[in-house]
Amino acid sequence: MPPILSLMVFLPLLGAVAIAAAPADRPTWPRWIAAATTAVVLGLAVWMFATIEPGGGVQFVERYPWIPLANIEYHLGVDGLSVLLVVLAALLSFLAVLASWRIDKRPRFYFSMILLLAVGTNGVFMALDFVLFYVFWELVLVPMYFLIAVWGGERRSYAAVKFFLYTMLGAVIMLVGILALYLHPLGGTFDMLELADRGFPVQFQWWVFLAFFLGFAVKVPVWPLHTWLPDAHVEAPTAASALLAGILLKMGTYGFMRIALPILPEAWAQWRWFIALLAVISIVYGALVAFAQKDLKKLVAYSSVSHMGFAMLGIAAGTAVGLNGAQAVNISHGFLSAMLFLSVGMVYERAHTRQIAEISGLATKMPVLAGLFAFASFASLGLPGLSGFVGEFLSLLGSWDSTLAPGYTIVAAIGVLLGAAYMLWMVQRVILGEVAPSIAEAPDASPREIATLLPLATLSLAMGVWWLWTLQHFNAYSTGLAKILGG
Amino acid sequence: MNGTGHIVEVLAPQLIVVLTGALVLVADLVLPRREGEYPGRTWLAAASVTGLIAAGVAAFMAPANTSLLGGTLAVDGLSRFFDLVFIGIGIAVIGLSVDSVHRFTPWVAEYYALVLWCTAGNMMVALATGLFSLAVFLQLTSLPLIALLGLAKNDPRAREAALKYLLVVLVSTSLLLWGLSLVFGATGTDDMRGIAMAAAGGTLPALGAAGLVFMLAGFAFKVTSVPFQFWAPDVYEGAPPAVTAFLSVGSKLAGFALVVRFLALSIDALDISLAVGALAVASMTLGNLGALKQHNIRRLLAYSGIAQAGYILVGVAASSVTGLSAVLFYLAAYAIANALAFTVVVSFVDATGLDEVGDLSGLARRNPLAAFALAGALMSLAGLPLTVGFMAKFYVFMSAAESGLYWLTLAAVINAVLAFAYYLRIVWTLYVSDEEHAHVSMTRRHALVMVVGALGVVVIGLFPAPLLDAAHRAVTALIAG
Repeated sequence: MPPILSLMVFLPLLGAVAIAAAPADRPTWPRWIAAATTAVVLGLAVWMFATIEPGGGVQFVERYPWIPLANIEYHLGVDGLSVLLVVLAALLSFLAVLASWRIDKRPRFYFSMILLLAVGTNGVFMALDFVLFYVFWELVLVPMYFLIAVWGGERRSYAAVKFFLYTMLGAVIMLVGILALYLHPLGGTFDMLELADRGFPVQFQWWVFLAFFLGFAVKVPVWPLHTWLPDAHVEAPTAASALLAGILLKMGTYGFMRIALPILPEAWAQWRWFIALLAVISIVYGALVAFAQKDLKKLVAYSSVSHMGFAMLGIAAGTAVGLNGAQAVNISHGFLSAMLFLSVGMVYERAHTRQIAEISGLATKMPVLAGLFAFASFASLGLPGLSGFVGEFLSLLGSWDSTLAPGYTIVAAIGVLLGAAYMLWMVQRVILGEVAPSIAEAPDASPREIATLLPLATLSLAMGVWWLWTLQHFNAYSTGLAKILGG
Repeated sequence: MNGTGHIVEVLAPQLIVVLTGALVLVADLVLPRREGEYPGRTWLAAASVTGLIAAGVAAFMAPANTSLLGGTLAVDGLSRFFDLVFIGIGIAVIGLSVDSVHRFTPWVAEYYALVLWCTAGNMMVALATGLFSLAVFLQLTSLPLIALLGLAKNDPRAREAALKYLLVVLVSTSLLLWGLSLVFGATGTDDMRGIAMAAAGGTLPALGAAGLVFMLAGFAFKVTSVPFQFWAPDVYEGAPPAVTAFLSVGSKLAGFALVVRFLALSIDALDISLAVGALAVASMTLGNLGALKQHNIRRLLAYSGIAQAGYILVGVAASSVTGLSAVLFYLAAYAIANALAFTVVVSFVDATGLDEVGDLSGLARRNPLAAFALAGALMSLAGLPLTVGFMAKFYVFMSAAESGLYWLTLAAVINAVLAFAYYLRIVWTLYVSDEEHAHVSMTRRHALVMVVGALGVVVIGLFPAPLLDAAHRAVTALIAG
């Protein structure tokens, strides 16, 4: 069998090098190379998804010694936890290229960064060796830094550095945790799977969990470590925002489910009330702050904080249902946040403003774009039948049924109402109403734009209907994990 | 050590380097000059590089595990590791100097000879196991540097740098010799292991302990760590960039070569973790905080170098096999990255005469190779994955944790994040800045050094195992002794 995972990691790298080497007087080459590369990777991802055996454990494994002295390996594999995330990453990379078709500022640099980002995000979800995982984890920062710093808005320099340093600080503290696991007498390996449920002493687990918590919680992000997110999102160019919300945030929740929970289950039991508390605060706080936003993109950014809170609540619950909810939020938010950011970007291109007060009447002026934007908003607020509902519902059900105090679930449920309220209010102000002068001359969505948004809408609908089928791979993983966690 | 070999055979690498220096001076007398043109200067550089390569081959072939001069010199895996590193540094420095020496000094041949002799001195420091030979060899590394700094006699900043360096050398050498005589008086031996044993056995009187502290000053000066780091920013900024490049790697590594040997010989005798750990934290923090507000690229790199010394001391503080192997690996990684960064600086200063960070604005479009090389070097110094600097930091931090010094690991990783703030600022200037500037041209030789250096940073970053194994073998052999 071909090394399909390595191909998915290194094809984008090859593409990035090809783009960097492309002649400067051919400004359209970079986007075509990027589109071709990401399309091939997406094809490989779909093929992998189609052939992977549900409940079959880790598959497509590639394993070679890398640094034998420290027992570090090049170890890739996918299982029920990572398979959908890999597909999501591949899909969003491709759509990000489509959405960036009109980038004319330094296109070679731009598209090679998009591809380099794909190297990191694909790798992070496949790496099963801690050091390799860490390498990809940090590799993601570099292209995202440049995407924000070069193609971002007015305060891009500040936002890019803040994003970089915040995440880096979380990452290096996580690195200390990784080292602690390796150096512990019961550890002795960087193999993430092997370290699961080794029965580390509880006191030790507590500290290591703290280190991982900081690394992952910054990425999710969990209140109060979220402050980099609004800055980064607002300043980032549209496609980068979509990738940031759609994939990069999932690295945090993935980290919890792949590493922190299975390896440190006892520490999780001690920390879970705290995680649940922060999750609930994130849900409510994100929703309330989203209410107050005058800037459309900032509203979507804060809605991410709120929605990712549901994933964290599912992780705090630790039951199979709760974990399924967390994963469903991951996937659904991957579709919808990307869709929302892309829609907002398209609106901004037309209105040249993101101020909610200066945009209205989208439905009248550009019904197709408005329809897709509204679809994303409704799916995001948790309309039954669409993917957003699945995640929120399962997370709430999981936390209600778990040993967590019922108060968390009740407050989170209020958060659902708040989320519906600010989204509906936004739809009412922006999409409905009189046509604002800012969009009086604007055209409707172009075929390329529809092609960017429609797949996400379709997938959100499909997941909302066939959610059991969507979660079939993950369910085996979450059942096993819940057993380790004692739930 | 297993027996002795003939001194000429055993010290062939060092002797070849010294003789090449002499040869270059002689050649200078006979090579023709025309009307301010000196076509022979390239040949001098070529001869120097050839000599260094020959020395490298000799280092490979020299008999291993030999001791000389009554056991005060040891030729072993460690000395061979450093031989090769110093030879590599020498080649890189000559490579990056070829096109710029004649710009700042009329004494081209003397420049190469001094670089070679200083390299030989560095190599000798890595051999010394006795205090007195050590003192002599340290002078052998410092004196050529004073002369090198003074070669740019028409540049007042360089003269000032040379004078400052001279004064610091005098003070630190005096302290070193003072400390050394105290230690010798207290223990009656000048052998490193003997001293360590005496210190561990509690037979070292207070006077001897004070002597060790004074010796530390001489060492801290070499590696630019706290408390003898203050000279670096002024000297790095004032000296000709090529000399700064040499100073920032060669001299620092010589200091660490001696530390590694001393520590390896005393590893089970001395507990220095706390003291060295404190120096490490002080150096990292001071260097990084100092670098944050620098606008001159060379000054910034001086502060960065102080911080780098701090990271290396983290591995020293671990005082274990892992720690010392990590130190060796880190030194090689640092040498490659720092030499690469300075190659770009030298080439840029040659082309434009400017050396502020802001002057580098938009370099990515003015000279893509130089920008990529500098960004790669800085990201390696910062410790970003896929560069050699990442594995170096990873291994050093791991060694501290392995020795139970989690507080030190934590301080180090937080410092590493802090450092990203200023390294990233330069990368931002290189790549992000939109200002339009003229193209910066550079010579083909500079480009070649950059390509080799950048390849080194990436390739060893991706495949660190061979270098790591070599470092590990050198240290284990030494400790097993």
